[in-house]
Amino acid sequence: MFEIIPIVIILAFLFETMDSCAGMGFGTGLTPLLLILGYEPLQVVPILLISEGITGFTSGFFHQEFENVNFKIKKPINKETKIMLNIAILGCIAIMMSVFLTYFAIKIETDLIKTYVAILVLAMGVIALFKLKSKTNSYKPKLLTFFSALAGFNKGIGAGGYGPVVMLGQIFSGIYEKTATAITSLSEGIVSLVGFASFIFLPVIMSQPVEIDFVLLPSVFTGGFIAALISPYMVRVLPNKMWRIVIPVYAISIGVYIMAKIYVL
Amino acid sequence: MESETSIDEVGYVARLIDTEMTILERMKIKKSTMYRIIGALSIYSITMIIFAITL
Repeated sequence: MFEIIPIVIILAFLFETMDSCAGMGFGTGLTPLLLILGYEPLQVVPILLISEGITGFTSGFFHQEFENVNFKIKKPINKETKIMLNIAILGCIAIMMSVFLTYFAIKIETDLIKTYVAILVLAMGVIALFKLKSKTNSYKPKLLTFFSALAGFNKGIGAGGYGPVVMLGQIFSGIYEKTATAITSLSEGIVSLVGFASFIFLPVIMSQPVEIDFVLLPSVFTGGFIAALISPYMVRVLPNKMWRIVIPVYAISIGVYIMAKIYVL
Repeated sequence: MESETSIDEVGYVARLIDTEMTILERMKIKKSTMYRIIGALSIYSITMIIFAITL
């Protein structure tokens, strides 16, 4: 059934704007709100994955167009492309593992694990705020590999917080904030499409296909797509100094939100 | 040699634009980019029509 739901468009637009500008928050923020609005997980999770896949590619393309990043498809590929591919590959392995665990109903996701992710995101956000004054920040590839693997591990066990850890991990590893946002957007797009494919094909392989309800797709896609066009432009125009503050503050608010979801809501 | 190393630096282009251009200069959109935005919006419209037909 084709249906346009204004509240879903607005929510998708807001969270995708922040996701494409600050590299985090689309899944963590939007999923619980849609569940609160009364939608079922099977109406929400695959739709957010495919929508984030398409908007991730769109946002990545326009980040390149607005020169926030310089991806090179032709060989020899440059460092920015290599970093994006490394993050995407680790994320793809993690999301396939996550779908596999969900499919076999292996639930290792506990409040304790979610608390650990919330504390990790909070701590990284606070450290990023403290590091605001340091101007020299050279590129540290080993640290970046560590954070990509850590984010992948968190996603793999279904604990979330992938975006904030990847994003802040890149900043700690010396990557310019605007470029880190672009790298995160495109790699999340790749990871989300692989996640959607796993969601569809794993049950088919196991001879138990899942029926997905696409009722939210037009609305989530509309909000997300418009945001994916506007956000790279905002990243280009607004000064990097501002993003250096917005990104950690938003990460801290996500950490607080995850914590509140476990212990308050 | 030194400039070659800095071009290879991660985020070099974004950093350069930030230092060389003012906010007003960064606000200008190239003609080719405008065409690509129109192209993206056309793809969006076609996708929505497909959704309307198939969902």
